Amino acid sequence: MRGRSPWPYLLIAPTVAGGAFLLLYPLLKAAVISFQHFRMGELIRGGAAFAGLENYAELLAGEEFWQVLLRTLAWTAINVVLIVVLATGVALMLPRLRRGLRLALMSALALAWAMPIIAATTVFQWLFQSELGVVNWLLVTLGFDSFQGYTWFANGTATFAVLVVLVVWQSVPFAALTLYAGLTTIPVELFESARIDGGTGRQVFCRVTFPMLRQLFALVAALEVIWVAKCFPQIWVLSQGGPGDATTTLPVYAFKIARVLHRYDLGSAVAMLTVLLLAVALVANLRRMVRS
Amino acid sequence: MKRLALNATAVAVLIVTIFPVYWMFLTAFKPTRDIQSDTPTFWPAHPTLDHFVTAVNAPGFWTYWRNSLLVTAGAVLIALVVALMAAFAVARMRWRGRGAFVVAVFAAQMAPWEALLVPVFIIARDTDLLDSLAMLTGVYFMITLPFTIVTLRGFLAAIPPELEEAAQVDGCSRVVAFRRVVFPLLAPGLMATSLFGFITAWNEFAFVNVLIIKDQDKRTLPVWLSSFRDVFGTDWGATMAAASLFALPVLLLFLFLQRHVGTGMTAGAVKG
Amino acid sequence: MKHRILALVAVLALSACGTPAEEPKASGPAKLTVWIMDGSVTQELLKKFETAYEAAHRGIDLDIQIQAWDGIGERVTAALASTDAPDVIEVGNTQVAQYSASGGVTDLTAKVGELKGADWLPGLAQPGNIDGKQYGIPWYAANRVVVYNKDLFAEAGIKEPPKTRDEWLEITKKLNKDGNQGIYLTGQTWYALAGFIWDEGGDLAVQEGGKWKGALDTPQALAGMDFYKRLQALGKGPKDADEANPPQHEVFAQGKVAQIIAVPGIAARVLEVDAKLKDKMGFFPIPGKTADKPGTVFTGGSDLIIPAASKRQEEAYELVKALAGEQFQTELAKAMSFVPNRTSLAGVLSGEEGTAAMAKGAANGRATPNTPNWAAVEATSVIKQYMTAVLTGADPAAEARKVSESITSTLNSGS
Repeated sequence: MRGRSPWPYLLIAPTVAGGAFLLLYPLLKAAVISFQHFRMGELIRGGAAFAGLENYAELLAGEEFWQVLLRTLAWTAINVVLIVVLATGVALMLPRLRRGLRLALMSALALAWAMPIIAATTVFQWLFQSELGVVNWLLVTLGFDSFQGYTWFANGTATFAVLVVLVVWQSVPFAALTLYAGLTTIPVELFESARIDGGTGRQVFCRVTFPMLRQLFALVAALEVIWVAKCFPQIWVLSQGGPGDATTTLPVYAFKIARVLHRYDLGSAVAMLTVLLLAVALVANLRRMVRS
Repeated sequence: MKRLALNATAVAVLIVTIFPVYWMFLTAFKPTRDIQSDTPTFWPAHPTLDHFVTAVNAPGFWTYWRNSLLVTAGAVLIALVVALMAAFAVARMRWRGRGAFVVAVFAAQMAPWEALLVPVFIIARDTDLLDSLAMLTGVYFMITLPFTIVTLRGFLAAIPPELEEAAQVDGCSRVVAFRRVVFPLLAPGLMATSLFGFITAWNEFAFVNVLIIKDQDKRTLPVWLSSFRDVFGTDWGATMAAASLFALPVLLLFLFLQRHVGTGMTAGAVKG
Repeated sequence: MKHRILALVAVLALSACGTPAEEPKASGPAKLTVWIMDGSVTQELLKKFETAYEAAHRGIDLDIQIQAWDGIGERVTAALASTDAPDVIEVGNTQVAQYSASGGVTDLTAKVGELKGADWLPGLAQPGNIDGKQYGIPWYAANRVVVYNKDLFAEAGIKEPPKTRDEWLEITKKLNKDGNQGIYLTGQTWYALAGFIWDEGGDLAVQEGGKWKGALDTPQALAGMDFYKRLQALGKGPKDADEANPPQHEVFAQGKVAQIIAVPGIAARVLEVDAKLKDKMGFFPIPGKTADKPGTVFTGGSDLIIPAASKRQEEAYELVKALAGEQFQTELAKAMSFVPNRTSLAGVLSGEEGTAAMAKGAANGRATPNTPNWAAVEATSVIKQYMTAVLTGADPAAEARKVSESITSTLNSGS
């Protein structure tokens, strides 16, 4: 168990080898590229020249990077909060439903989760079309006449909102099903005794449910933060980061720079800065991980 | 009254959740003429299988299926085995560098894969690994590995080590003890994590797009899914039919693993 | 017996000569990989070409791969950067400049004469030419015309297609009633906008002293946008989408849209949706400001390139020659309603209404600004977003200034 046994090192060897070749090596390469003049020509012909800190200077001098960073934070926060709150609601609702309805709802969640990202994004784009879209049709039918031909994708806030709806819709199923499964592991006696003590629904949640599932909430929230912050295809298909820059988050920004403008050098610099910022932001979290 | 409100809410959630999925299936069965209409129709008046025929007859469909299954299953299985070993080392053994290893794995979940596309392409090219399913499998393996380790580690930690020790006392070797005692308890966790890996690899498009170039027969299903679009626009019907077929394996896998998914994640996290 | 052995030896010797010496491991015919975009050529035509070509060129095995549009930019870039690239690639004429400038494409300047490049369509030849070197070989072009519903025109009592913009607005207004749309023009059909701007004497971007400058904020360009807005209002085209989304041929096929702006090849798509519209579709060139000249149009189309990383340069060139040659060009133009790559071949278009209208407009064809970075302007869809903003009520001058600045910075971002 302890001492100088070679076993642990043998056991992690494949992970380390895989990580070294397929993650660390590309990362180092990206780091090198970020200090070079490396664009489409250099990718094809080779022979990139050293450029020092030029790319970083260009990035940090402009306001855009910082705006994008702030927007990404807001994007992540809004989505994750909505996802966790809604998922908690659904998870708390599930055990209270009759069997048939519960199964129906769980199947619906599973279906939504299994729907390919591109298909879901396309469908949403379509539902929110200004002229033939179902959402506008529904709103007008319900009496909101101002939505006749409303152009969701002309307005930055509206586009942002549509994207939030899409991402939340895609993410809630996983979170809800996980939290629901967690709920089922809590012994029923705990709830009963809490209720006998005269606890209201909210008190029961705060005193029993949440403390019991604290770790699970943390895990779900952490995973959602990662997924939402890195979310890319949805935004690109729906809005290309527009209108203006209204929905340009970090991954979209990096994509625009690297693969639309073919500025692989600047794109790598963005990636390096992102990694750095993430590392700093996560130090606290990581420390906890190590201690456990 | 309270009951009514609860059920009403549940039905509302159900509708919102299912509607986009329903719309996908519905469109797949609608004739093209009915797809764009002024007033939406919520039931296929003239159902047709044309779009499925188009989708299935698209070039390379069966080859892409096979490739996708091979690559995805390969990546997920290798990741499971490798992750299990690493998770075991982390959860059950004390060794120098363990803390650093855990930090590295956790951080690796945040790897900016979008930005690593070009470096990975260059590496594949320089090592003659373009047009290779093995390279693709490797990349998907690496994308899913960190997550798999983190969840499996949490899951392993939840299984009391005393169980193994007891088995060892009974004369089993450590490997046998692991196989007989820990593995069965771990199975749900393995299944749950494999589903996440499966979904990630199954949907991946950016890497296959640049790593498989000249050998068209090595492309995967996402390429096919995106192929119903040309200069005149997207063939919605065919795309939705294709998407329905594309979602099928994930759905089947989910139904198959369903009872394990939730419990696996939970058990992994409760003591994480 | 002796003769038989001799014959066998001879056959063996001959077949030994047949295999190229520099390709020792090639045991079969040489495989040539060709990338053709989805929708460019019908399967039948490709099959026919392949069979004929392989029969005429012993030892060549054509592998024609149809390429999906999604992610094509990255795929072509990766192909050019690879060590064993496809041998011939079709690329859009607004994309070809960036690939040519990258150094990954074979320089075919020496072959221009042989390919009869003297009368190539400028809209295809210029983007394929960087610093006087010809990399892209023109393949086919298409420009937009107005496709109209003859029934709706008859109902509204319109006998003659409009000759000027004013007439066009007038008849479109007449058509736009009783639940019918005068024109279905989506808010982001920016190729149409480009034509209107050119008609006014403006441009998308101009080169000044070696620097590019976005020009959507000039009075001419704003006048073009203003006309677009007036036209767009005469129907229910979504202001925040482009013509592919939803596909406009599906909307047109519903029979309640009087006109759309599209390449004539769209007729085949309309019929796929509803075959009843056969013989009910008419075509006329996009009207100009005055009756003597049709409107300026964007020349869309494709060039063929040979990646420098292709291992079969000579065979690839032979193939390009066949694809760009008179015979295939004629067949392609007829089958797909395209403009052939050389003006002297334009005669094939006269027979049919749609292509005839296109040929009239093609005389006034223009290309997007000739710089490798133009592709990036297109990909970020800033022009589309500008159009949506103006159409939904934003101040045109302010929005135009913003988008011009963005274009300026993209075009000058170096390579």
